[in-house]
Amino acid sequence: MRDAIKAARLDTPAVALVTTKFSPQGDFVSRSAGMPDIPRVKLPHPVAGTGEKAMKMVADDIADEVLQALGATG
Amino acid sequence: MTRRLTAVSEEAALEQLHEAGCTDGLPVVIPTPARVERMVLASGLDADVSLGQLGPNLGEATVEKAAIASVMAGCLPDYFPAVVAAVRAVSDPRMDMTEVQATTHNLGPLLIVNGPAVDACGIASGFGALGPGHRANASIGRAVRLAMISIGGGRPGTSDMALLGHPGKFTFCLGEDEEASPWPPLHTSLGYDIDQSTVTVACTEGPHSVLCFPDDDPEVYAEHLLNVLAASLSGLGANNTHFARGTQVLVLNPDHAIALADVGHDRTTIAEALHQRAKRSWSELSTVRARGSGINRHQRRQGEDPDLVVPALSSPDALLILVAGGTGLYSAVMPSWGAGPHGNGHLTVEIDLDQACEVPLPGSTQWASSAI
Repeated sequence: MRDAIKAARLDTPAVALVTTKFSPQGDFVSRSAGMPDIPRVKLPHPVAGTGEKAMKMVADDIADEVLQALGATG
Repeated sequence: MTRRLTAVSEEAALEQLHEAGCTDGLPVVIPTPARVERMVLASGLDADVSLGQLGPNLGEATVEKAAIASVMAGCLPDYFPAVVAAVRAVSDPRMDMTEVQATTHNLGPLLIVNGPAVDACGIASGFGALGPGHRANASIGRAVRLAMISIGGGRPGTSDMALLGHPGKFTFCLGEDEEASPWPPLHTSLGYDIDQSTVTVACTEGPHSVLCFPDDDPEVYAEHLLNVLAASLSGLGANNTHFARGTQVLVLNPDHAIALADVGHDRTTIAEALHQRAKRSWSELSTVRARGSGINRHQRRQGEDPDLVVPALSSPDALLILVAGGTGLYSAVMPSWGAGPHGNGHLTVEIDLDQACEVPLPGSTQWASSAI
């Protein structure tokens, strides 16, 4: 979340990836960092340690949502 | 800016503080302005001096806010310089408190006090030093936790994401038993003079007991002890074993410390010996985790080589060794997280005992309370 906020502050399009269980924490951190509206996409929980195959599946599932959050059109 | 609350009674004020999420779930001393003012005086600092920012909320840890946490925790003003130093430590960016509070791992800041502050504050270092019954240990550690909750915003399930937590997240503070130790105090090996007071902070799991029986042969006894300590520092379930990062803490009971000193060991040689011995082969590690899930830098460098031996301590300096607890068969190790931008290391901050102003005796109770 903080990485996305740092990037956004540099005018770099950014989206935070947050797992479902960490979503309330993401909300808390974005508020405390002064950027409550930072775009975010929820991932299934957990993703850490689930292996490359599972990560690729998650990436496939969220790719369109990430592009939309970054403002892609078409 | 400190928010000020009012209440009709201390009982009502306590309920307000519980409701506001400013407590650890236990009753607290109500931080009335008079009590907070007395605590601030004990630091010799102005109330608005910043000790740093505490994550994940990035709240400004001012002296006044640390004083509020100390009053709530039940500290005597005499303890406050130790709390100030500890809050400075946990607010230091190198301690990664945003990540420490946010991780799913079960760790919290262990406070190790050295020097004249141990006696000045009455911090226990012997039997049951990390257990109940020692006011200074209990309230100093609790003050830091309350600061992490109220200033840092670490609240379980929303910003403190520890899957289980551990009891040391209520309070986790002890002194080194410098008199019982066969070696110079811990802080002298970290660059401080013996007459300085310090708090050394390492964010760790709770203490894991390590059993070692004496042997008639001093060399055999020391060898057994080093072996069992090394095995305990490289448990197959410990993060450090898998990540090869993070400070671990070894608390030697005085008997075990003397057993090692008797065969010529000091803090440095013990750390070196344990750095050498606390290792696991890749074959062992591969029995407990999925292929490809490793993030160990040794693995990244060398691949999944069955002959690879992975150290649980990145260097001898990644082990803090102190002497504390009662005499007997048990020492303890505290493994850690081994993650975060700065790798979950340790930090030492001097405790300034000389700046305190004269603290007046408590006056009559005021019902107006202030909350962080």
